[in-house]
This record gives sequence, C-alpha cells and structure tokens, in this order.
Amino acid sequence: MKKILTLCLAMLVLGSFCFATAEAEEYPSKNINLTVPYGAGGTTDLTARSITNTMGKELGVTINVVNTPGAGGSAGTLNVLNSPVDGYTMLANGMLCISTMPVNGFTDKTYKDWDVWIATYAPNVVVVPKDSPFNTIKDLINAIRKNPGQITAGTAGIGSGGHFGAEVIKAVAGADYKHITYAGGGPAFTATLAGEVQFCPQLLAEYKDAIISGDVKALCTLSTEDIELAPGVVVPSILNSYPEAAPLLPMGEVTAILIPKGLEEEKLQKLDKAFEVATKDPAFIEFCDQKSFTVMPMGREESQKFLDDFASRACYILWDAGAAKVDPAQFGITRR
Amino acid sequence: MAFEYLFDAILTVSQPLNIMILFLSTAAGLLMGMLPGLSATMAIALLTGLTYNFPTQSALISLLGVYVGAISGGCQSAILLNIPGTPASAATALDGFPMARRGEGGLAIFLATTSSFLGTFLSVIFVLTLTPVLTQFALKFASWEFFLLSIFGIMICGSITARGNALKGWISGILGLMVAQIGMDIVDTFPRYSYGNVNLMSSIQLIPVMIGLFGFPEIVKSFVKKEENRTVGLTRFEPKKGFRLIGKNIVAIIRSAAIGVGVGIIPGVGEDTGGWLSYWASKQNSKDKESFGKGNPLGIISAESGNNSCIGGAIIPVLSLAVPGSAPAAVLLAAFLMHGYRPGPLLMTESPSFVYNVCIYLAFASFAMWAIALLISHGTVRLLALKKKILMPIIYTLCVIGAYLIHYNMFDVKVMFVFGMVGILITKLDIPAAPFLLGVILGPMADSNLRRGLRLSNGSMLPMLQRPICIFFLLVILFMIFQQTGLIDLIKRKGKKDGDK
Repeated sequence: MKKILTLCLAMLVLGSFCFATAEAEEYPSKNINLTVPYGAGGTTDLTARSITNTMGKELGVTINVVNTPGAGGSAGTLNVLNSPVDGYTMLANGMLCISTMPVNGFTDKTYKDWDVWIATYAPNVVVVPKDSPFNTIKDLINAIRKNPGQITAGTAGIGSGGHFGAEVIKAVAGADYKHITYAGGGPAFTATLAGEVQFCPQLLAEYKDAIISGDVKALCTLSTEDIELAPGVVVPSILNSYPEAAPLLPMGEVTAILIPKGLEEEKLQKLDKAFEVATKDPAFIEFCDQKSFTVMPMGREESQKFLDDFASRACYILWDAGAAKVDPAQFGITRR
Repeated sequence: MAFEYLFDAILTVSQPLNIMILFLSTAAGLLMGMLPGLSATMAIALLTGLTYNFPTQSALISLLGVYVGAISGGCQSAILLNIPGTPASAATALDGFPMARRGEGGLAIFLATTSSFLGTFLSVIFVLTLTPVLTQFALKFASWEFFLLSIFGIMICGSITARGNALKGWISGILGLMVAQIGMDIVDTFPRYSYGNVNLMSSIQLIPVMIGLFGFPEIVKSFVKKEENRTVGLTRFEPKKGFRLIGKNIVAIIRSAAIGVGVGIIPGVGEDTGGWLSYWASKQNSKDKESFGKGNPLGIISAESGNNSCIGGAIIPVLSLAVPGSAPAAVLLAAFLMHGYRPGPLLMTESPSFVYNVCIYLAFASFAMWAIALLISHGTVRLLALKKKILMPIIYTLCVIGAYLIHYNMFDVKVMFVFGMVGILITKLDIPAAPFLLGVILGPMADSNLRRGLRLSNGSMLPMLQRPICIFFLLVILFMIFQQTGLIDLIKRKGKKDGDK
C-alpha cells in the first residue's frame, strides 16, 4: 500500500509540472479565454462566439470560448470572479444571471463590481402548444386567474429568462402558475412541443422558427412593441391587452461581455475599441437579425446606467415572488 | 429532387480539397477520441472555432468527420489499455480489454472499427428515410418516460458485472448515483453536498470520474503486480475472421443500430448511454451470457455499433426541431447556426439540400473513419508490446491534461485524482467500475425527471401506468429485477423439477 501511495504522490507532483506558465507583458500577447457559463449552442454561447470572433481579430489574438455550465450560470461566473484580473479571462453572460446572483446568495458582488459591455437584447415570448385551447394572452391569463397554481409553465429553471417571463405573467394575472423547471431552454421548449406543459415563456430566439412554421402558437411578447417575425407572422406585445404591465417591461435577456473590475484603464480601452468594431461587424448584425436579437451595443458607462434600472426590476421580481434568498436592499439595489 | 441533392452532395464531398479535409478531420477526431479526456463534444467545439472562416460545405464536412472520428476513436484505448478514450466507449472496454489480453487485440480493434462504421452508416439510412416519424417518437418522451428510461439504464448495472454478481454491480451503481447528486439540482436550483464550494455546486464532471476510475487502476497495476507485467505479443488483424464474425452477428448489429438511433433521438440521452443499452440487449439475446465481460466479440460489436449509431439519431432532432439529441450534437447545432443554417421546422423549405448534405457527409466520414482507424491501429496495437513502465507515465500525463482541458480548471484534475483512489479501492474489492460510471451518467436524469413528473401530476405515481412507453419500460425493469435477483432461474429450475416428476 505504501508503495502505491508513494507512486500516486509522485504522479501528482509530475502532473502539476505541466501547468507552469510564463507571464506575458504586452496586452494582449496571448490568447484570451472567454467563459460562457452555459452549454454550447445556447443563446449566450452563440452570441459570445459571434461577437468574440471579430473582437479577437481586432485584438490580434484568438478568443477561446470555454463552456462551463453548472449552477444556473453561477459556477462559471464565480470562477471568473475568482481568477486573476489580467484581461485574459473574460465572461459572457446574461444580465439576469449577473444581476440576481447576489440576491440568490451566490456572491456579494453585484453588477457594479464588473466592467460590462452590453451587446444584445432578446425579448421573452409566451408560446403554447399548437393544439392548446389558449389562442390569445387573455385566454391564458383568464385561465390562470380561474385555476391559480394549476396552469403549468415550462422554463429553464429558477432565475432563467423564462422564469422572469413567467413572473411577469403572474404579476399581470394576480395569480400563481405552476413552475416546471427543465435543464435548459431546449428541453423546456421540447416539453411545450410535446404538450407536457401548458405554456412556455422563454426567449424568442429559442423557438422563432417553430412559431413561423406553426408548431407552437405565440400569444404575446414581453417587449414593449409588436414583433414581426416573417411577413404576416406578428407577435403582439402584452401591452396591447394589458397596459398595466408597462412598469415590468421590457422583459428579456440582455447579453454582455464582462470583466471583473480592476483591469488597467489602458487595457480596458483596447477592449472598448474591439467591442465597438465587433458590434458593427455585418456578420454579427446578420446573426442577430436571424435570431431576432436587437443589437443594443453599450459602452461601459452606459451599461452601468442601464443595469441600475434592469437589475432593480429583476431583483425585485424575484424578491416579490419569494424566490430570492437575500433582500436586494442589502446590496444597495433600490426599487424603481 | 432528392436524388439530385444527394448527387450534388456527393460531388461536393469528392472535390480533392474536401476529401483532404474529410480525411484530416476524421483522423483528428480519431486521435482526440483515443486520448482519455478529449471527448467528442470537445473535439467538435474546438473545430467549430477553427472552421469559422472555412467555406460552409468544407466546414460541415470537417465537423461531421471529427464527430464520427471521436466517437469511434475511443474504442482503441478502451480495448488496448482498458481506459476508454471517451465515455461513449466505456462499454467496449468490458469485452475489448479481455480480448486484447488474450492476444486478440488486433481482431478486437478490427471488429470495433467495422461495427462503428456499420453503426454510423445504418444510422444515416435512418436519418434519410425516417426523420419525420422518428421526430414524433422523440416528442413522445416526457418526464415519466425519461425517468423510467434512466431507471432501466441503471438496472443494467446489475448485469454488466463479469462474474455475474449482481450485488456488486448495484453497489457500484448506487455509489455512482450518489456522486451524481452532488451539485446544484436542476429542479429547484438547490445546492446539494456542495459545502459552499462553487466547483462542487457545478457538479462532478463525468470525464474526470471516468479517467480516474478506469485509468488510475491500470496505471498503478502496471507498477505493482509483477506477474501482470509480461507484455502481450503483437496481434494479427485477421480480417477474414473479423468479417466472418461481423457477418455472423449482422442481426445484433442491426438491433444495436436501431437501439442506438432510438437513444440518440431522445433529447439529452446520447452516445454515453447508447453503447450500454445495445450491449445489454445483445447479452440478453445471447445463449452464452456467461462469456460476456470475458472477451466475447459480440460485446464489442454491439457496444460500438450502438454508440456510433447514436450519431445519426442525435442529428435527427437537430435537423427537425433544432433540439440536440446528445451533448456533441448540441455543439454541432451551434456550428450549423454559426454557418448560417437554421435547422428546425423551416429547414426543409429554406435549405432543402442541407439534410442530404449532412447525410452524405456522414456516410463518407464513416468510410474515412474505417480506413484511417484500421491504418492507425497497426501502430496502436504496438502499444501493447511497449513496457508498461514506459507507457503508463505517458498515459498518466495525458490523463491529467485531458481532465484539465474540460473546463480549464484544476478542480477537475483533483476530482480525477480522488476518483482514481476510489477506482483503485473498488478494483481491489473486485467491484466493477462500469456501473459506477453509468450511475454518474444517468443519476441527474432519473432524479430530476421523477421530481418533475411528480410535480406535474401533483404527487401521483399513476401517470406512469397510463402511458404506453412507460408500461413497456416498467415491464422490462421488472423482468430485470427478477432476473438479477435470481428469481427467474429459481422458477425455471422449479418448473424443470415439476416436469421431471
């Protein structure tokens, strides 16, 4: 046994030598790792890959996308927070996750502790199976009012874009729905197609084509304006039927590139420039158009201002729903 | 129309440049599949970045080539070293390694490669002919079906032990299930057994567990047991015998391919599971159940045709619903999107040629894989002739790098080390490692789907008995329980005695 142990130890020591790395000087002098805290192929992942391709070219290095799914996006995000702030570890994440992490008890760092570059906005759309008895958002809301806690909503989990969408519906109806959570937007959508859940309030991009082809019915969007997906296929805004929802809108996922605060201003400016070029890249704009994302590029300062409002709404929706563990006021996030 | 598209696709893939890309990327996939830790998912993700600026068709060819290569490559390390290169080929090691030790490593690789090829090829035929029907089948799977499917998979634990001791299989499987509990749960986002550690919250990754469980015992063994250190002689390929075996077992291959396609289609269940289910099905249908796990060629054939046919299966829902059927298919979907295709319900109207392109490229990739894998294996079988004391330190380094590369995280290396210790311990206790891995793969699926199902039905178990697919699974599970606890044998014996009277 002793022999085995010594052997194992020796192997461990040997193994650790493989990771000795040298420090570099000029920024960026080596490839940058960009963490996407979700699986490959999701909304955040696709947006990140599309934007970093051009950013990398602009910076003269490759930006490697690293997918670290787990804990609803918190695991990868915390990993980035805990890595050295040297400009070689970046994060791409949705702002819903970032702004609600403190109230969910994962960290005491808020969005104010990050340098944020917001890239896109993707609205929620409420869809139902094609053979569903609900044909308008009014049908659905009335059904929820009549059977509180019985109408099932499939989402990608607590704190996901879909959960916020469902909470808006709940606020409008004034009655609760039954929350059925899935491992991601894909499985939640499949469950809607199969009719396992009665409605799905995830992001438009996840099922745009299925709406156009008629495989699911879209009842409304949580954007403030109607959205035309294809000639003749228009998803009405929830405001058309329920103007009182206005203070909760627009609801949806906002995707951004982030770096924990603390990087030198000189390096940040390089990233500013690369980001600006990347958001104007025709390939990126075409990608966003195809997925029905709104390109909404914001610099670092502008992003913080946007988040002051957005984070407050997101945190208080969770808090009012009883789903948050910590009072947002503790982090200086006030009700707006 | 369809034939025109097929013909166009064949023309595209046979351009010299594309042929070269096909062979290069398939070879790259094979190599990545062979190395423990570099899985198919990672191979495709890496290539997605590299091919971003390729012409679209060439990029598609290389992505599909790497997919087929990586799923097939894992079998070589499984057979020669008892260390599966990817989780998908873990079932192959059960019979592959004993065969290699008998001095039939060459034959084993020939069988594995040929059945991989046939599995992929058959699954392409499924994609071409049955996509609409099979998509409907995929949608029949809701929470209860997923739950029972995973329980069925877990029950296999009791019947993949070499010496037929079901209890030891279950012990190992339950240990695996317990490990799968660690981390944020899917239903309520509640952290379990994480002690506030973020790495634990994101749950234990499958690949470090696999490398630890399978790799470490082999590495340590090669330094300790003197009598095991004799090198196995170089092995001949015996393609004649190989083809004869394949021909004899063609029914098993078709059955495995059908199972693989079925497993592949179901969203979220893929190559990692496909090999196990087809292995089990072949064992069930065999008259000589005892020889499984001791080097039965049929075990290799069914495991490899099963996991490779998942490829076609997993691509079906990608094409028809834009929902990936397995983890590598999810990355593939991302790559399709990046190249401007929009798989999903509009695909057939927007780019009707796409399905045919994918099928033809897959078929060609499977041919390329077969040729290259057999070529490479002439070199790899020589590994067996190497002194273990030279080979194993190299393997160990590759294991560490592989575990690190998953998420570029040292935590995974530590996980690998811990499970290496577990692996050494359970090998000493003669508990098989394979059920452990199966438990880790299927645990989250069983757990979250049971709770989701119960929430949907307000806590009632009744829906399980009202759904046809569920009843099928329930019957199979009951049968397995009786079989593994020896009840069926008991009844048979009693019946015989009564007959004798």
